[in-house]
Amino acid sequence: MDFTLSSDQSAVLTAIDTLAKPFTAIPTNLSTFDLYSEELDRALDAGGFFDIAADADLGPLTAALVVDRLATLPFCSEVAVSMVVRATLCADLPRPVCLVAADQLQHPIRFLSKAASVLVMDGDAVRAIAIDPASVASVHSLFAYPMGKFVDGRAPGQEIRRPDIAADKLRHWWQVALAVEIAGLLKGAIDSTVTYVTDRHQFGRAIGSFQAVRHRMAEASVRATGVRWMALEAAATGNAAQAALAALHAQESANAVIYDLHQFLGAMGITLAHPLHLWTYRLKALLSEMGGRAAQGHVAAKFLGR
Amino acid sequence: MRFEWSDAQQDFKRRVLDFLRDNLPADWDATAQHGPGSDKQTQFSRTFCKKLAQAGLLTPNWPRAWGGEDLDPWCQRILAEEMWSVGEPRGAQYMNVNWIGPALIKYGTDAQRQRYVPPMSSGDAIWCQGFSEPDAGSDLASLRTRATADGDIYRIQGQKIWTSYASAADMCFLLVRTAADSKHGISILLVPMNTPGIEVRRIPSLVGEGDIHEVFFDNVEVPRTVLLGAEGQAWEIISTALANERIGIPRYAFARRCLDRAVARLRSRQRFADRAVRLQAATAAAFCEAARLHSYSCIDMRARGLSMNAEASAARVATVMAERKVAEFVVEFLPEALSGGDGLLEAHHQRAIVAGIASGAAEVQLNIVATDLLHLPREPR
Repeated sequence: MDFTLSSDQSAVLTAIDTLAKPFTAIPTNLSTFDLYSEELDRALDAGGFFDIAADADLGPLTAALVVDRLATLPFCSEVAVSMVVRATLCADLPRPVCLVAADQLQHPIRFLSKAASVLVMDGDAVRAIAIDPASVASVHSLFAYPMGKFVDGRAPGQEIRRPDIAADKLRHWWQVALAVEIAGLLKGAIDSTVTYVTDRHQFGRAIGSFQAVRHRMAEASVRATGVRWMALEAAATGNAAQAALAALHAQESANAVIYDLHQFLGAMGITLAHPLHLWTYRLKALLSEMGGRAAQGHVAAKFLGR
Repeated sequence: MRFEWSDAQQDFKRRVLDFLRDNLPADWDATAQHGPGSDKQTQFSRTFCKKLAQAGLLTPNWPRAWGGEDLDPWCQRILAEEMWSVGEPRGAQYMNVNWIGPALIKYGTDAQRQRYVPPMSSGDAIWCQGFSEPDAGSDLASLRTRATADGDIYRIQGQKIWTSYASAADMCFLLVRTAADSKHGISILLVPMNTPGIEVRRIPSLVGEGDIHEVFFDNVEVPRTVLLGAEGQAWEIISTALANERIGIPRYAFARRCLDRAVARLRSRQRFADRAVRLQAATAAAFCEAARLHSYSCIDMRARGLSMNAEASAARVATVMAERKVAEFVVEFLPEALSGGDGLLEAHHQRAIVAGIASGAAEVQLNIVATDLLHLPREPR
C-alpha cells in the first residue's frame, strides 16, 4: 500500500492543472444549465491525455486521477468514458464517445450531441455505433451536460458488433469511470458550497460557522473522500467487486448530499447565477447511469457473503 | 500510488493468520461474543497475548529496543484488522499496542520505560485509560479529578466514568488536573489499580460484559515519579495518542465480517434474491470499504511521518457510518440473529453503538473535519 502519487502521476496532474487553468473561472452572467467546452476537449486531445490509461507507465489509475481532477471544473467535456473506458478497451473508437445500455438508446443520452461514437452494452454483447450527425438532435435538458437524442428514437448508421470487448470488462471500467467522475463532481460541488457558506453572513456570522451546516458539510466531505479512494482503488486493481461497490457508493453519496448543498445556499441555490448546479445537476445525470443504485446494489451483492 | 500489499506485508499477514489458526480454540466465537472486556475473554487474552509476544506478533511495530520488530504502521494495521475481525483475542491489550506503549516509549523516563514497557511487550499487562468524568466527556479539558503535590507524593481525589476494562486493569493511564488552566493544567499519572483508595464499579451496559466502569479515587497516594512527561503536558501527549486511537480499532473489519456472515445466512435460506435486500447489503459493504480506505489513508500519512489528526477524525466518521449500516441491515433483514440466533452478530450489534461515542463523540470529529479539512469558519464560543 502506498497512497503517495508517483512522480509520473504528479507530473501528469501538474500538467492537467496548467492546462485546465483557463477553465476554472466561472463565466460572468452564467445563465445556462450546462457549460461544455470544445476548447477544453481540444486541449486535452492535443496533450495526449485521452490515451494515458493505455500507457504502461501510467495506466488506468492515472487516467482516473485526471478524470477526478477535471470533473471539479465548472466546464465539462467528454473525458471519463474516453480516458477510462475507451483508452483501456477500444482506443480505435472515434471520440467523443457515449456509453449507454441498449434499453436506453431511445432516450436522451449524455454527450450524444457532441459524440463521434456510441458504445452500446446489450447484455453480454457490446456494439459500437459510428454517429451520423444528421441522425442526432440536441435536447434541452435539466442535466448540466450536453444531451442528445437519436432522431426517430433509434440509432441509424453503422452499427457493428465488438466481440473483442468483453462485457464484464466494459462494465468494470464503466463503473470506475462513473465513480471517479462522481468523486470529482462531489469535490467541485463541496468546494463551491464551502466558499459560499464562508462568505455569506446571516445572524451576524458566517453561515458555515453554524453547527447545523458544519456537520452536514463534514459528512458530505467524508462521503466524497470515501468515494474517491474507492474509485481510485478500483481503477488500480481491476477488481470487479471493488468497482461495483465504488459505483454504488458514488451514486449513494451523490444522492445523499445534492439537496443539502443547495439548501446551504438558500435562495442563491435555486438560481442559475450561482454555479453549484454545474456540479450537482451533472451528479443528478449520473444517478441513473448503469441502472442507478438498485442495479449497482444488485450487481455488487453477488460479491458478498462468500 | 499502489493499492496492493507488498510481498513483505502479505508475508506478515500470513504470519498473523497462521497464528490465529493455531491459537484460537474451536469455540472461540462463543468466547468472543461477550466482548473484549468480559471476564472470559480477559482471561483468554492473558495467555493469548503471551503467546503472541513469543511469536513476535504482539508489538511488531514497536522499536526493537522495546520488544518490537520496527515494522511499519501498515503491519500494525494488518495485525489490528485480523485481530479485531475475529473479535479481538488480545482483549484490552490492543490499547497498549496502539498508543499507551508508544506514548510511554516517547515520553517516559528511563525508569518508567524499564518498569512499564517490558510487561506490555511480553503480554503481561492490562491498562485502562482514565479519561472521561461525569462532567467531562466530549469536553475532556474540563476534567476535575485533582492531583495535589505533597512532598514526594501526589494525592488524587476525583472520579472517572465510562472507563473501559477498568475491572481487569493492572494500571491506569490517568488524566488529572494539576493546575487551573484548562488544557495546560492537565497531567498524566501512571497509577497501579491496586493502590489503596481506588474503587472500581461496573456499569451495566448495552455494549457487552465488563466494558465500562466508574472509577473512584479517594485520597489516593502515588509517588511523584509516576508523572508522565512534565506537569501540564498531558494535552500534547494525548493529542497524538488520540489521533491514533480514533483509527486504532478497525471496526470496519469486524463489521464487514459480520455483514458477510449475515448475507451468507440469508443466501443459505433463499432470502437474498430480493433487490431491496441486496441493495441494503451492498450499501453497507460499500460503507465498510470507504471506512477501510479512509483509515488506510491515515496509516499512509503515519507511515510517511505526517500528522493526521483531521484525517483520523474523518476516518472515525466513516467508520461510524459503516458500523451503523451493517447493524441496521441485520436488524431489518435478519432480526432473529439478535435474539439468540447468532452470538457474533449480537456482539457486533452491541459494539456498533459505541463507534460514534468512544474515543471522542462523532460530533466532535465532525467539528474537526469542518474546521481542519474544509476550513469552515469556527463556531463562536
